Amino acid sequence: MSLTTSNTPQGAAATKDNSSIIGRGNKEGNQLFRDWYQELTTAPSRGEHSAYVFVMGSLAEILQSFGIHTIFPEVNGLQTAVRHVADDYIAQGEDYGYSTDVCAYVKADVGLQLRGGDHPMGKIPKPSLAVYTNACNTYLKWAEIWERMYNMPSVTIDVPGSRADGRHTWSGHVDFENDLKYVRGQLDELITVCETVTGKKFDIDKLRETMHYTNVMMERYERLIELNKARPAPYSAVTDGTVYLGVANSLRGRAEGAKYFTDLVEEMEYKVANGLGTTFEEKYRLIFVGVPCYPIFRRFNEMFTEWGGAFVGSSYMWFASGGANTGFQFDLARPLDSLAEGLLVTTRDAMDTMFFSNRNIVDAIEPFGIDGVVYHPIKSCRTVSTGLADNRRAVIEETGAATLFVESDHMDKRVVSEAQLKNRVDAFFEGLATRRVRQGAGESK
Amino acid sequence: MTITAGIDVGSTYTKAILLDDDSKIIARVLNRTGYKPGEIAEETYDAVLEMAGIGRDAVSYVVATGLGRFQAVFSQLGVTDLTSAAWGANALFPGTKTILDVGGQSVKALRCDEKSAVTSFRLNEKCAAGTGAFLEKTARYMGFGTEDIGPLAVTSTLEIPISGVCTVFAEAEVINHLSQGVAASDIMQGAIVSLVGKSVQLMKRVKMEPEVTLIGGIMRFPSMVTAVRELLGIDVNVVEGDMVQYVSALGAATLARYQLEKIRSDTDVGFVGVR
Repeated sequence: MSLTTSNTPQGAAATKDNSSIIGRGNKEGNQLFRDWYQELTTAPSRGEHSAYVFVMGSLAEILQSFGIHTIFPEVNGLQTAVRHVADDYIAQGEDYGYSTDVCAYVKADVGLQLRGGDHPMGKIPKPSLAVYTNACNTYLKWAEIWERMYNMPSVTIDVPGSRADGRHTWSGHVDFENDLKYVRGQLDELITVCETVTGKKFDIDKLRETMHYTNVMMERYERLIELNKARPAPYSAVTDGTVYLGVANSLRGRAEGAKYFTDLVEEMEYKVANGLGTTFEEKYRLIFVGVPCYPIFRRFNEMFTEWGGAFVGSSYMWFASGGANTGFQFDLARPLDSLAEGLLVTTRDAMDTMFFSNRNIVDAIEPFGIDGVVYHPIKSCRTVSTGLADNRRAVIEETGAATLFVESDHMDKRVVSEAQLKNRVDAFFEGLATRRVRQGAGESK
Repeated sequence: MTITAGIDVGSTYTKAILLDDDSKIIARVLNRTGYKPGEIAEETYDAVLEMAGIGRDAVSYVVATGLGRFQAVFSQLGVTDLTSAAWGANALFPGTKTILDVGGQSVKALRCDEKSAVTSFRLNEKCAAGTGAFLEKTARYMGFGTEDIGPLAVTSTLEIPISGVCTVFAEAEVINHLSQGVAASDIMQGAIVSLVGKSVQLMKRVKMEPEVTLIGGIMRFPSMVTAVRELLGIDVNVVEGDMVQYVSALGAATLARYQLEKIRSDTDVGFVGVR
């Protein structure tokens, strides 16, 4: 994806030594991503299978162990939006019969399928199967579309979520153990489907290998999030973060993905050690909540950076990372049980990040030195957007944080109004500036 | 004498105000914004200077506001119409805590503190329902102009509910009422009550508390103010006459004075905005 920021950082002057390390993450991330799309494009010619999966619980470890490619329709969709062609795909989906109220990711994907997989990044292969969790209610209906189109199997992994806000059970608790058995049984079913589709026998050592790479990636990814506590923050959790998310999903369970995040952490540690930030003077530290505004991705971010607003945290980097944000480590001595546990814990966390995001935000405000929280509900997705207003109120009541609530869409430019967004963003920063002036003068907020 | 200026480049009208040392209004001018906000900002600014009999060099600081503030290139600072509304309303009514600003293309409810800092705000979403455009279009469907809205509505004897939430679809509702012989004045009053209902919802969402000050061009229609008072059940502040259209420009000029004083006292706590 061409979502890079400039490589000239704020802070200390770049030296000869750091020229090869700074900006490496974005550069290599973009290249890996292009290579990955090329690999997908040519997969059918090699007789290789592909699975349509989603960012929350892709089960890449099992699929990769069978040599099945993972394809992310959400990623395909956002790529069309960033490249300003989403409206063509969406219109085709609407012409096919889907209402304007339906998720624009779904409609763009329908348009993509109707075009035989023609996509700005390459040609998307037809699926041999689809695998998805219940983390998003739309996933289930979405997969049914492919079932009808391609007459292929789809596997639903039903993952129990939190019974109530803040009430989690863990290993050893009777509820957790029952949930674990339930998820574990479904993994066995998935393996059977993969064996049928590919004609290959399940190889547990190959699974161990893919899980090992995911372990490395998840450990590094958690560290990456942690590193943005530094002042200035070494990366933008919205623009750069989207590049990282692309790699975290597409190369999950693979050596290239593990290496990428190892190198990325090295780059960010270097930047932190040398006081290097992004490309502008960081004045306000912000958390972004929701899904980015891809139709005006760069401009949306600029509305904040013009004021010195840096996104140091993002709920998107949490819930769309396939659980990498938790740093969960699989136990390779008992791979399938551990995979089930990881899926249960991380998918539950992803759902919590959507529905109870106030917990994570409240917890992040102090360690990340947050000045404001930006909520971005999207018209397409009531799943992540419903409740954000209540969430915002809960965060304000608990922390008194300054917040901004701006609505648009992640795909559909018909409901993105830049002028209205900008006026709200400007008013938000005027408020932040006033707060800071008063705090400087010793007044209360 | 130190003179400061405020210019509000709104979606429908552009307003300019000059203030003297005592924050007294020296001159004020209003023009239709039209399609060239940059040009009209220049024209309006020059017109207000001409009215005061001074040149540009006599003005020490200019603050621009409104959606077209970026086009007022002669200003030193640009602020949102939310901030300028808070400063203007407080300049006129120092106890103001909640403001309802109904303009041509937007409706805003905001809460502010005693120092004019905006503490919470809500704006109409991507829809003209609840804005001045809603009333203008309703009047136009019935063959009236914007300036007829006030006189027309005060003659109403029966309020006709306009339930449509969409300005465009409301046309069908208006035509339906007209075809049934309903008086234009009653339809106009119904549109005003509908608009007020939506506006009050926004005020509730910012946790409205008194004193409440009403501003914006639409508030020059007495029926509008009466409807707000009746729906809220409390008294509200409204500046008399057409000055209600100038409140944000006044706020910008007042903020210009504040900014100037901070700069002159060489303190680093001036208001932070964008040019």
